[in-house]
Amino acid sequence: MTTATPITHIVVVGGGSAGWLTAGRIAAQHQCATRKDIKVTLVESPNVPIIGVGEGTWPTMRSTLIAFGISETTFIKECDATFKQGAKFAKWTTGEESDFYYHPLMLPQGFSQTNLGPYWQTVAPELNESFSHAVCVQEAICEAGCAPKSIRHAEFAGTANYAYHLDAGKFTAFLTKHCTEKLGVQHVLADVNHVESFDSGDIKALHTEQGVTVEGDLFVDCTGFKSMLLGEHYKVPFIPCDDVLFIDRALAVHVPYDTPQSPIASHTISTAQDAGWIWDIGLQSRRGVGHVYSSRHQSKDDAYARLDTYVRQTSSLNGIDDINVKDITIQSGHRQRFWQNNCVAVGLAAGFLEPLEASALVLVELSASMIAEQLPANRAVMDIVAKRFNDTFSYRWQRIIDFLKLHYMLSKREDSPFWRDNRDSHTIPDSLKELLALWQYHPPSDKDFTSNNEVFPAASYQYVLYGMGFTSQLGTHQQWVNADFAKQQLMQNRKARSMAVEKLPKHRELINKIHQFGLQAV
Amino acid sequence: MTNMVAINNKLHSGLKVTDDALSLGANQHLVPVVVSELSKLIVHYPVVITKFNDSGQFGLSALLGFEENENLFWQQGEWDAVYIPAQFERLPFYVGTEAQGADSSDRVLCIDMDNASVSEEKGTPLFDNTGEPSNYLLEKQQVLAQLLDGETQNQHFIAALQQHNLITPLTLDITFENESKTSITGLYTIDEDKLAALSADAIADLHARHMLQSIYTMVASNAQIYALIDKKNKANKNADAWFQTTN
Repeated sequence: MTTATPITHIVVVGGGSAGWLTAGRIAAQHQCATRKDIKVTLVESPNVPIIGVGEGTWPTMRSTLIAFGISETTFIKECDATFKQGAKFAKWTTGEESDFYYHPLMLPQGFSQTNLGPYWQTVAPELNESFSHAVCVQEAICEAGCAPKSIRHAEFAGTANYAYHLDAGKFTAFLTKHCTEKLGVQHVLADVNHVESFDSGDIKALHTEQGVTVEGDLFVDCTGFKSMLLGEHYKVPFIPCDDVLFIDRALAVHVPYDTPQSPIASHTISTAQDAGWIWDIGLQSRRGVGHVYSSRHQSKDDAYARLDTYVRQTSSLNGIDDINVKDITIQSGHRQRFWQNNCVAVGLAAGFLEPLEASALVLVELSASMIAEQLPANRAVMDIVAKRFNDTFSYRWQRIIDFLKLHYMLSKREDSPFWRDNRDSHTIPDSLKELLALWQYHPPSDKDFTSNNEVFPAASYQYVLYGMGFTSQLGTHQQWVNADFAKQQLMQNRKARSMAVEKLPKHRELINKIHQFGLQAV
Repeated sequence: MTNMVAINNKLHSGLKVTDDALSLGANQHLVPVVVSELSKLIVHYPVVITKFNDSGQFGLSALLGFEENENLFWQQGEWDAVYIPAQFERLPFYVGTEAQGADSSDRVLCIDMDNASVSEEKGTPLFDNTGEPSNYLLEKQQVLAQLLDGETQNQHFIAALQQHNLITPLTLDITFENESKTSITGLYTIDEDKLAALSADAIADLHARHMLQSIYTMVASNAQIYALIDKKNKANKNADAWFQTTN
């Protein structure tokens, strides 16, 4: 391949959600269904099952579905999908029964005009309302079991910001059909067994057991934990972060609802355990529940017992002995580079972090849109795009690691070594230590984050920090005090809160109506 | 409260109805309408597309006011327009169903006996001396039949609009003469750009299904929004004048 060769054929390897999201995003951007200048081929093994984790998404998924030209109604019906309005963290701070806080998906009231954090901190003792409840409507909506929108809202519009919970298996099947039928993605079912290279080290073609050879200009590695191209072929090192984030195992189950009309939670519930935490995600037909834990701190049998207890307490199942328990080994960390030569890795092939803030699919979406939007025109400019991609995503992985660690290091739990070890200074990244040192005297604010590539907005840090009882020592020169304005914002939120809970339908009720009537396009 | 009973020429031979029943619409700012009355509605009303509360499905409505409970056509206790939407014109009559067996039912004409317009004392009789329905009752039956047929016609019409992506949100930001402002959302209308860009085949198809005229009638009816604003300005002036005299 010469430097002036235009990039016209993109080959995606792997048919999980990462593969199809990337292939579809590129095909949609470059109109592969109608124009012929760019071709996208997805090579998928007919024999390797998809990992199928990652049931939580971010609001970015709405933009992704819109970019794909997918109807929200069809997506909800076919992917067992529900509306997600954030996460509820239970027992993370003290471990007591009453201990919980929310990380909603909406910015605090008046966020663009003022920082309500320090005001809230000052009035909190009399106010007796958590930060997220005082400044945002979403905690109240979730606690009331309401949906973020009504049947009268158009597709992708709502009263409250939202993402989705989905069945990863069904989502992949849905994307396969949409990408091949509507977006012009070529689908090749074959097992790659040999990578043919140019002298430059660039990949020339993939040879398969079935005898098909697929040549291409850019190869996207979506082969999951195997990381066939970036890891196995290019040997780009894996940078583990298990010294910061201790989770390395997961036990996952599907829990049926008591009745087909049982209420559906509109948020991810994350309940802290002795050596990890349990996720609980409500789909339409079942819940997805799993215990992630640190095998350095807990045996599999103990983790199994914790999950068994949780399922007994939250369903009518008599424990998990009679249902299928998936045992998953997790390696937390990411590749040192994500784009090497003419190959870029997306999804688990690039790295993995515990699903505490549902960062897996959003990283896929961010990677896919950067590849689609900045698709190198020719081989000559590819190295520049690659460098930018690597810088951007190195930064993003670090920020996610920091943000996940924040949840652990702020805990006051003393009941097990897992929580005490998490507060050990040696396990906290310097970048996070620096932010905490700043926030000790300066209330966390939008101004603390200056990069265009931020994954979590300052509001997310505020929700976790204040949710877990963090306070800044406010000095006299803090420039926050427009108490009247702040007071007015809290009043407005209080009003909006009760109106939202009164007007919004229950989550299950909306899902039923979407099946019966569908959402309108406008 | 309502008290629906099936009309019977023996039980109700002496029953009379005044036009007071219209007051049921005095506080309605939107009223559902049917395609077959569009050419009459356009004389007074903006006809918009709205969503049903419980299903989010589209329906057709005439806009009567700019806020909830405001009907600018209800003036000094009467309907101030030549054509009254069928949904009001039929009052206090309704269509009910009567079980005929385990799995069949028949439609029957019902009247709300509790409505203030219904009595044996004043108004137009429902039946003549021989027990035959009066012309008044026959007219009401026709209006109800028009509304019943209209349900299916409306569904087909809306489906055709959706098929051609012709529905678009309509946001009204209005400043009245007295500087008061309103912003109305939740209304939809015909997308005129998309209408203008329809292919010859699409136009021919809509024409063959007798929908093209209705579409253009709806577009033209939007001009009545100005007439409605004018009504509101006059109503505001009356209110302001009243406010001044009582102070």
